[in-house]
Amino acid sequence: MTPFPSIAEAARQLASKAISPVELTRHCLDRIGKLDPAINAFLLQTPERALADAKAAEARFMKGASLGPLDGIPIAHKDLYNTAGIRTTAHSRLLADNVPTEDATTVAKLAAAGTVMLGKLATHEFAIGGPGFDLAWPPARNPWNREHVTSGSSSGTGAAVAAGMILGGTGSDTGGSIRGPAAFCGVAGIKPTYGRCSRAGVLPLTYSMDHTGPLAWTVEDCALLLQEMAGHDPADPASADRPVPSFTADLRKGVAGLRIGLVRHFHETDQKVNPAVQTAIDQAVALYRAQGAEIREVTLPSLFEFQACGFLILVTEAFALHEPWMQTRRSEYGRLMLGRMTYGALISGADYVQALRRRRELCTAVTTAMADLDLLLTAGAATEAPPFEPEPTGPELDKPGFTFPFNVTGQPAMTICGGFGEGGLPVGIQLAAKPFEEALLLRACHAYEAATDWRGRRPAMAQG
Amino acid sequence: MQANTTPEDFAALIRRAGITLSAAQTAEAYAGWAYIEQMLVRLRSPSPRPREAEPAHIFVPQAPAPEAGR
Repeated sequence: MTPFPSIAEAARQLASKAISPVELTRHCLDRIGKLDPAINAFLLQTPERALADAKAAEARFMKGASLGPLDGIPIAHKDLYNTAGIRTTAHSRLLADNVPTEDATTVAKLAAAGTVMLGKLATHEFAIGGPGFDLAWPPARNPWNREHVTSGSSSGTGAAVAAGMILGGTGSDTGGSIRGPAAFCGVAGIKPTYGRCSRAGVLPLTYSMDHTGPLAWTVEDCALLLQEMAGHDPADPASADRPVPSFTADLRKGVAGLRIGLVRHFHETDQKVNPAVQTAIDQAVALYRAQGAEIREVTLPSLFEFQACGFLILVTEAFALHEPWMQTRRSEYGRLMLGRMTYGALISGADYVQALRRRRELCTAVTTAMADLDLLLTAGAATEAPPFEPEPTGPELDKPGFTFPFNVTGQPAMTICGGFGEGGLPVGIQLAAKPFEEALLLRACHAYEAATDWRGRRPAMAQG
Repeated sequence: MQANTTPEDFAALIRRAGITLSAAQTAEAYAGWAYIEQMLVRLRSPSPRPREAEPAHIFVPQAPAPEAGR
């Protein structure tokens, strides 16, 4: 077995019986045992459950009754996803003893597809307060350099995928929490369209901007995971009642003829990226152009506009959720979470409605700008992963992120590895498509990934 | 960046919100408040916003499913 099989590779090997689900699961459990003490990606490991899942998958393969490409594939879930009978904490003391009675819809769907559950993964506290050293569990560390952050809040998923401890996993994304770790950990992560994947049973950060989605090593692996996660769920009021297309059928169709809007002002003016990220974007433009895509420059509202709208909606909705605990169990929150919730407490009702009105204007602006475009291209993050701070402050409020715009608009966006910068740390590029055009987004990301050799490199500490 | 709200007024805002913070927690929150003020100003642009500019999430009533015999 190769040390780092992708989901697609492992599925082929499982189907041909070159490896068994139990062997693959033991391989991952061995890697977790060896690597996770230095990475802290897992809040809880579930080896007994994993081996039971693997044995069940093995029995299906032996009967010739495989459930599909995810059958027997070891994954893990961000610890915001409810798992029946298995502790789900949101990385917070407040839920340290929380044991849900039901799986989140997406957890149940991935289990029904035959995946093997290895455990629960680190996050930032309630998906916003981190990385912090004052929580019940330490923050996940970046496998490319343990002294550097992973970004968040799907920190454990990004780290575990990069280190080859899991083949894929779940994340959630309210302001960039799938795509941030994808950028800093050098993996692939897709935030699908708002409503494409159920949020039911995933502990909310907000109500109007939370998205669930997968992270994995390759774009194809994300497509395979998304295929099972997507679909209408009556238990989620925002769930889109739309058919789910195949996310893999057109994956290799290339980008010839596609029109890609380069949002140059995002990464050159609004929030200037460092040279490594700029190089990655320039190379992506050249690569897409060489493959027959048409690159056009496009102007959107500034990143600061999206940040103002998105951040104020986020903290206000999150405070509405946390207000009772802010009154009674305040001391159990970590410092960063408490600070963010304090801002939420201070936003007036009128300001919240202004943010929602601004949100409609921003959505209209992006829709108009994309009228004759298929995709947008910009940075995944401004830099490589920075080192941990002794007293972390969380994302800086004066530096708007590149991911928030697509939480505000709800359109699908994906971050993939765009190369490596200082000290061998990965950099990310981000593409976005129109609502419900995930298949096209995955196709364009796969075209880039297949034309580069970034997937051939893994963190040094994961090699041993 | 300097906040327009004074530290005293900021502390009053926190009390009015019904949460109790230590002096250190209040000072830390105040240090970032100027950026929140700046975001709030951005939200109010264009000003005045057209009266008919609706919020992003407007409740759309679902028609009841047709019942037999109706």
